[in-house]
Order: sequence, then C-alpha cells, then structure tokens
Amino acid sequence: MADQSLRKFYGWFTVLGLLVGCLVVLGYYKDEDREWKVYQRKFIQEEARRATTPQQRAAAQSMTPQIRQILLPDLNRVDRCTTCHLAVDDPSYGGYPQPLAYHPLHERHPAERFGCTVCHRGQGRATDTADAHGNVPHWDEPMLPLRYIQASCAKCHEAADNPAAPELSRGQQVFQESGCLGCHKLAGSGGVIGPALDKTGARHSPEWLKQHFLAPGSVTPGSAMPPQRFSDPDLEAITLFMLSQTGETAPGYYASMKVIPSAGVGQRLFEQKGCIGCHSIAGKGGTVGPALDDVGLRRSPEWMIQHFREPKTVSPGTVMPQFGFTEDEARALTDFLVHLREQKVTMSLPTAMTPAERGHEVYRKYGCAGCHAPDGKGGVANPNSKTAELVPDLIHVADGYTKDELKDRILKGQHEINALDPKRPPPPLYMPGWAGTIKDAEVDDLVEYLFSLKPKGEESGF
Amino acid sequence: MNSSLPNRIWKWFEHTRVGRSIFRVGLPQSNLERAQAMVSSFLLHIQPAKVNRHSLRASYSLGLGLISLYLFLILIVTGVLLMFYYVPSTDHAYNNMKDLQFVVSAGLLMRNMHRWAAHLMVIFVLLHMCRVFYTGGYKRPREFNWVLGIGLFLLTLGLSFTGYLLPWDQLAFWAITVGTNIAAYLPYIGPRLKYLMLGGNVVGQEALIRFYALHVIVLPAVAGFLIAVHLWRVRKDGGLSRPDEPGDVIQQVEVSQLPTSKTYGLMELARGTTPQVGKNPEDEVFAWPHLVFRELLLFLFVVVVVLLLAIFRNAPLEELANPIHPPNPAKAPWYFLGLQELVSYSAFWGGVVVPGVLVIALVLLPYLDRKRRGVGRWFARERVVANTIFTVCLVIAVVLTIIGTLFRGPNWSWQEPWKKPPAATEGH
Repeated sequence: MADQSLRKFYGWFTVLGLLVGCLVVLGYYKDEDREWKVYQRKFIQEEARRATTPQQRAAAQSMTPQIRQILLPDLNRVDRCTTCHLAVDDPSYGGYPQPLAYHPLHERHPAERFGCTVCHRGQGRATDTADAHGNVPHWDEPMLPLRYIQASCAKCHEAADNPAAPELSRGQQVFQESGCLGCHKLAGSGGVIGPALDKTGARHSPEWLKQHFLAPGSVTPGSAMPPQRFSDPDLEAITLFMLSQTGETAPGYYASMKVIPSAGVGQRLFEQKGCIGCHSIAGKGGTVGPALDDVGLRRSPEWMIQHFREPKTVSPGTVMPQFGFTEDEARALTDFLVHLREQKVTMSLPTAMTPAERGHEVYRKYGCAGCHAPDGKGGVANPNSKTAELVPDLIHVADGYTKDELKDRILKGQHEINALDPKRPPPPLYMPGWAGTIKDAEVDDLVEYLFSLKPKGEESGF
Repeated sequence: MNSSLPNRIWKWFEHTRVGRSIFRVGLPQSNLERAQAMVSSFLLHIQPAKVNRHSLRASYSLGLGLISLYLFLILIVTGVLLMFYYVPSTDHAYNNMKDLQFVVSAGLLMRNMHRWAAHLMVIFVLLHMCRVFYTGGYKRPREFNWVLGIGLFLLTLGLSFTGYLLPWDQLAFWAITVGTNIAAYLPYIGPRLKYLMLGGNVVGQEALIRFYALHVIVLPAVAGFLIAVHLWRVRKDGGLSRPDEPGDVIQQVEVSQLPTSKTYGLMELARGTTPQVGKNPEDEVFAWPHLVFRELLLFLFVVVVVLLLAIFRNAPLEELANPIHPPNPAKAPWYFLGLQELVSYSAFWGGVVVPGVLVIALVLLPYLDRKRRGVGRWFARERVVANTIFTVCLVIAVVLTIIGTLFRGPNWSWQEPWKKPPAATEGH
C-alpha cells in the first residue's frame, strides 16, 4: 500500500503545481497585454464609427490587431511606428490626437518609402511608447524633439537649398558666421584646435549642445572653447544645425536627393565658375556670350545639359570652353537656368569685388571670427595668455607687420602662446598654421582685408 | 486505495491496449511493481529501484545537483526555442534580441528564462561542488566522479561564456573582449588560444559564429554526455555519499582478479562498487514513489523560481556592440570578475598561476586527500583542515568576485556601489 510518509509533501505539491500554472498564465497574459493593441482597438472603433456604408463598417470590424511594419533594407531599418500611428497616410485623420494623427508631410515623404525613424529618430523596432520614442536606457537615438525636426532634412537635402527648412539654413548661416570652422573641422575643412563636428548630432542631445555653446567648460571640463554669446533664436538655430550633423550617409535613392539639381547648387556653380564673365543676367555681366535671362524659353533642358557636356556638339562654332562639368553639375546648372526667368536672382559677382571684400569672405569662410571676433575686433577670452588673457584683435596688424610678414604669420601660425603666469595651465587657444588650407590667392585677399581694418585717419607706426 | 476520478480514468487507460503498449508497468501497486517501474522505464532506469534513506534527506544533499540538472534541461528547451529566431550574424543578432522583445510571442519570456537559468546554473553547480566537498563526497570510490564534476563546472562556465556574446550588445562585446584577453595571459598558448577562440585578433563575425557553434552544439553535447556519465557513476559508485556503516564493505574487485577458467554471465561481471555496497534493507526505501516524488517536487520548485525571475526581471540588453566605444570599466561576465580583479593586480599571477593552480588542485584533490574519514557528514570534525583550506579559498574567490562586480568603477578604481559615480560626461 502507498506509503503514508509522502503525505506531508502533498500540500507542497499542490501549492507548487498551482504556482507553476499561475505563473504560466501570468507570463502569457503579460506577453499578450501590449500597449499597441489598445491603440489598434481605438482605431478600429473610430473606423467603424466613421463608416458610412455597411461595407465600410464590415471592413472596419473585420480588422484584427496586428503588428504593422515598414521594411527599409536600404536604410537598414524596420519601422513599426505605424503599429500605433495607424493613420499617418490618411488625410482625413488630420488634426486627430496622437497616435492617430495624419502625417502632414506624407504626400512628399510617404511612410512606406521613408519609414519614420530616418527623420524622427527613436527606436523603430519597438512596439511600446517608451522604447519606441527612445527615451530609455541603452538606446542612443531618442526621438528628435519636433522643434528640431528640420535637422533631419539635411540627411538628404542640401541645408541651404531647402525652402521647407528655413531653420536649418539659418543654422548653417550662424555656424558659418560664428567662425566655428576656425577651430573645428566639418566635412573635411576647418581647424584642428577643437574636435571634428561630423558626428556631433548623433552623439549629443539638444540640451547638451545648448549648454555647451553657453558654457563649454560645464559639460566638457577643460574645454578650450570660448563661451558663445548667441541670441536665443541663433542658439536654437545653431543647435538645430549641429543636430543635423550625424555623419550618416543616406544610401542610394535617398542620397540622390542631394545631387538632384536644385536652384541653389546651380546658382553657386554659376557664380563659382565665373559664367558671368561672358554671360549676363539682368543686365549684369559680360557680353561675349548671350544674355541668359530667358534662355529657358529658347532651349530645352536636354539641349542645355548636352551643351554643358560638350558645347560644340549642339552649338557648332561656339567659343564656350568645355568646362568638364560632372553630370550632376550639368543638371544643376541646367535647373538653375531653366528656372531663371521665374526668379529674381541676385548674383554676387566675384569679379566686381575688391581684394579686401574678397578677403572678408575668406575671413568668414575659414572661421577666423571664432577667435578674433567678427571684423577682427578681438575680445575672445584665452585664459592666461600674455595678451591680457584675450585673443588679440586684428585691427592694428597693419602697424606691426608688412604684408609679407603677415602672410607668413597666417600660414605658419603660432602654436606656443606666451603665458602670463607660467604656473597656470597654458592658454588653450592658439593660432593654427593655415598653409595648405587657405589657398594662396585667398591669403593675399585676407591680408588686404586685415590691412583695411585699420581705422581711417589713424597715424601709422608705433 | 485512492479512487478519485482522475485516478480511475488513469487506471482504465493503462489497462487498455494502447496504455499497455506505452507503459510496461502501470502505476505500481506492489513492491515488485515499484521496482519494475524503475528498472523498466527508460527515463527512470538510471536510478536504482531502492534508495538509501540518507540520500533522500534534503538537509544532506540540498538537491543541488538535481537543481543544476533541471536548470540544464530548462536551458535546453528555452535555448532550442531561441534558436528558431536567432541568426548568428553581426548584422542580425542584436535586431533579433529586439524582435524577441517587441514582436515574438513569449520571446522575451524565453530569453529571460534562458538568461536567468544560465546564471543560476553557474551558481548551483558551484554550490553543488561545495556540498560535495563539505560532506567529503569526493572520497573513494567517488574520486573520478568528482573529476567529472570539475569538468562539468568548467563546461558550465564555458556554456555561459559562449552564450554571453550572442546578443551582440555592448555588454556582450566587451565582456567577451575582456574575457578572452584574460585567457591570452596564459604563457605561450594564451595568444594562440585567444586567436583560436575569436577566429581573429578582435571580437567580430568570426568570433560570433564560433561562440554560437560552441554554445548550441559542441558544449551542450559534451555537457549532456558528461552529465549522463556523472549520473551513471553516482549510481555505480553506490549512490550519494553517506557515513560508513558497520556492515559496509568497500571493495573493488578487478575483473582480472576473477578466475579466467570459467565462463561468466553478464551479471557476474558487473562487480566493483555497485549499489550492492552498503546494502542494509532497513535503511532502504523504494525509489518509486519516495525518490521520484521528491524529484518532481524539486523540479516544480526550480520552474517556479525561474519563471518568477523571468516574468519580473528582464535580461539585460545594452546598446548595439560598438568596437570603438568601450564602456569604462569594461567588465567580464560576473563569474570571471574575481579573475579580472586578480588580473588587475598581476596579469601573470592573477590570470594564470592562481586559476591554474586552483583547477589542478581541485582535480587532484580526491587523489591527495585519501583518508576515508568524515564522509557523509557536513563539516565533519575529522576534516577540519581540508574544510578550512577550502573555505578560505572560497571566501577569497567570492570576495574578489563581489569586489570586481560591485566595487569597481571607471578605470577599475574603487567605487562604492551606494555612491553615484561621477556624472558620465558625454563626449569626445
């Protein structure tokens, strides 16, 4: 007969058995209980409510909650955002509260082609709000706050060319005018005193960036960067611009957006290549070639592209040189010319500028203002430097240097800055050598500009 | 006899044609059937028909070996389920983890169970070893089974270590980088061993596929085989260790000692230290139901613990592995952190000599400590020297592991866990 000594375990057996059962049920329930199902049910209800015909109602009611995802192998992304944001492609949901709102840019950036995270960031694979929006530990890419969303346009579009992203081009402008490139490299050009900025936007939060502009030492101890005095709109704009610098390169189709002809690229090429030397626009420019104001009416785009490739093949006997434009450049120039008569274009004519004016451009382009302040006024702090702990101003360089000496100084730089007090840390900022970066002709212009800074009427010499 | 409805249904079923074709012996009613139930069932026959009461005492064995076995079984089941989704590629592995969490039904639960059962198994195999030591269970005739046990402990570490890389997150990548660097401290063979493990000089796709193959095929197969031998030896060496009794005769009869002029039946050859040794009918009970029932109960307990952990605590998953952004400090898996702590003092002594000597000492232990006294009792007075040495080593290992796990911050500097580390600077 069964041994009675085991009876004492029966209670345990029952409890443990029930516990296993309960835990399995609990595990199953926890697994089934997903946030997105709530939103899908709401969506189905809403669809049924809005249905006007019995067929529509039946269609709505036959929907079952399921994961929805957009596979984007080119972008190496799987975006499941539409599992909750179910109506991004349905304009009739415009104005609905999230997550059921229509996406206003859907026409031009359809979700099935672009997904969501390529612009908004966040975690595309996730299916609950916290993880998907990415403000969780161990996820590097939280969602970009909407007020900085224009930063993402730069992934595929040129910053300056996109009329839909004014904040981005404003940010780029602030970046250029503030002389950031004097110390930092971006896309291969710029100084070496500070770190390169190519991936800044992927590494740092907007809050960090803002704090860093206003008080660099508070987030990067020992930073040599002088605190910046941006107005609030400028601070927002340059923060947005820095967020746009993620170092990501969009592949294939998406990258092609950058070189697809846009008026901005074409205009810049037009200016740089000196077309205005022979052709005129709005009465300005040379007379060797025809005026181009209404060339878009006279010639087809195909003709123009071929003309840029090999002028003689479409215009025998022409004196226009073969410039060797790339295919993209030819398209960009064509686009510029085709749309020329619709726009009022203000050309900056390189030939019409004085050397000092060109020098001013050089001063801006290479970020001299980052340390020497706009217009060479100086005043940027350089702790413990002998020059009153400031980066010296440039207004009086004409008194201390000949033009050749000044040129030499710019090209060679000065790496050791004399310290005020040898016991304190050496001054963080120094003058980099610009040889190999600033072109020879540019240095000449720059020297002319710096000499022109001397206030009129002041006596020369010490 | 119990005549509840389920019982009656079962009774009816086992007497049908189908029932009889499946179960060679039904639910046993007599002692004979109880013995038959054990020896005629594939799943049960590795256990004896009768067991010593001493072996059933939970306060003696604590069930630690069985718990380790159950964890291994849970790991096999959950591991196979995870294999249906996992792709051992640096492009996919991390995304697989995310998919398990976000879209695969019960995917996260399986991963959590696997992770926690793996950690528990390391702990319980170690505890099992401690139990065997403190009760003198490694002594004759169980010397070789102790050696097998050391092998199984190292295999458990190997299984856990190879599995650690598979999620391909920062935690995995840098733990394996640190772990294989510790292995590289071995003289002469170290760098080659590291190269062999990683299939290169750094952790990458080659390392991932190697660790995967080791983790899902090689090591489980070897471990499964050794576990079988380990259990077989438990039985052949006379069951669990227990105090010697006056009637016990420990005698190993060499086959060559038998007269060769006679033809032997198989039963006559199966000699040596067998369950026959120490047989004392009053001390024995039938394995069915006394042993089987307890085993089942313990299994339920292990499942409950693993399920509780898996439901309420998620397995860690950090950022995607990034070879150019090491965390500071980069730490090996926790069970190697005592080793890493030692290595931080001296790579050669901490990484080579100490662990090497420890493993060799553990393997040789039963052949060095040969006195058959104090077997079968916890902390026997006769074994005070051995127990003291072992305890000191164990405490040092545990303390070093705790220091390495909890008290080491950036650059392996001292860092009390209750104090916040200095605010991590994002940065250049």
